Amino acid sequence: MASTIIGAGITIEGEITTDDEVVVQGTVRGKLTAKDAVTIESGAVVEADIVGGPLAVAGSVTGNIHSSDRVDLQPGARVVGNVKATRITIADGAQFKGNVDMDV
Amino acid sequence: MAETNIIGRSSHIRGRITGTADLEIAGLVEGTVEISGELVVAAEGRIAANLNARRLVVRGAVKGDLSATEAIVLEEGARVVGDVRAPRIAIAPGALLRGYVQTGQQAAAAPRAKAQPAAAAAPRTTNNVRPTAAAAPARPAPAASTAATARPAAAQAAAPSRSTPARTAPAPAPAPVSSNHTGPARTTSGNAGGGGAKAGPPAPTVPVLKKGARGTLQKRR
Repeated sequence: MASTIIGAGITIEGEITTDDEVVVQGTVRGKLTAKDAVTIESGAVVEADIVGGPLAVAGSVTGNIHSSDRVDLQPGARVVGNVKATRITIADGAQFKGNVDMDV
Repeated sequence: MAETNIIGRSSHIRGRITGTADLEIAGLVEGTVEISGELVVAAEGRIAANLNARRLVVRGAVKGDLSATEAIVLEEGARVVGDVRAPRIAIAPGALLRGYVQTGQQAAAAPRAKAQPAAAAAPRTTNNVRPTAAAAPARPAPAASTAATARPAAAQAAAPSRSTPARTAPAPAPAPVSSNHTGPARTTSGNAGGGGAKAGPPAPTVPVLKKGARGTLQKRR
């Protein structure tokens, strides 16, 4: 499996650019750019702008999200920032503050 | 799997990685890495950063200082340009290393003092000479030799005269990571003279000198 996993206990401050899938369980500050799926798992803290493919959020995200595909805010997710994506789901129990732009 | 942290092969991280867990790097990392677990640089991994971990296993290319509180293992295929400090160090046949090596207990204490200022300096330096720093560990020897051969042609005109004596220092390659101001100028002109490096990002197109500096140099000659 060639994906990038930023596990719990790891903090990255800076810029992450990848063609892989990204799974974040730890802390990321700065910028996260991926071409493939991005998963922010429960317990993760992301203070970064996220650009990527399909995005699933169960942790905390502070920053703008730009997805070329869908964004799923799962129960327990906490998102502060603007979301731009083709499709968005916000599950019951997800906290969200920001604008939504869906290219209507 | 779930507990392993991986920087994947096509990932590029610029900045600072800290933490308490184990980490495997198969991508490109610039900046600093400080973790209190085991750090593995995979064969595809390319690092332009100072690495600090409890245990450090290198199979890829690293440009920067390595320090560990327990042990450092350079395995076959490792290409390291930089200082290596740890209580125990193993260098396997097939590993390439250029830099200062220190084993023993005092080495475990030394990196603490040394790594902090170097860590602070690293992000600034990587911003300036990012492509060079990334390209060099892949082929450290050619970069050094071109730096020497390119001197009469490209560098004499391009480099400020004060950097010329610095260029003859015995270890040109390790310097840029934790270098002072003459570092970027030296590597940039060396790399430009040697043409594009095979691996890594392209050679920097940033001019070594400001506009007008060349004119003043020529006038002086």
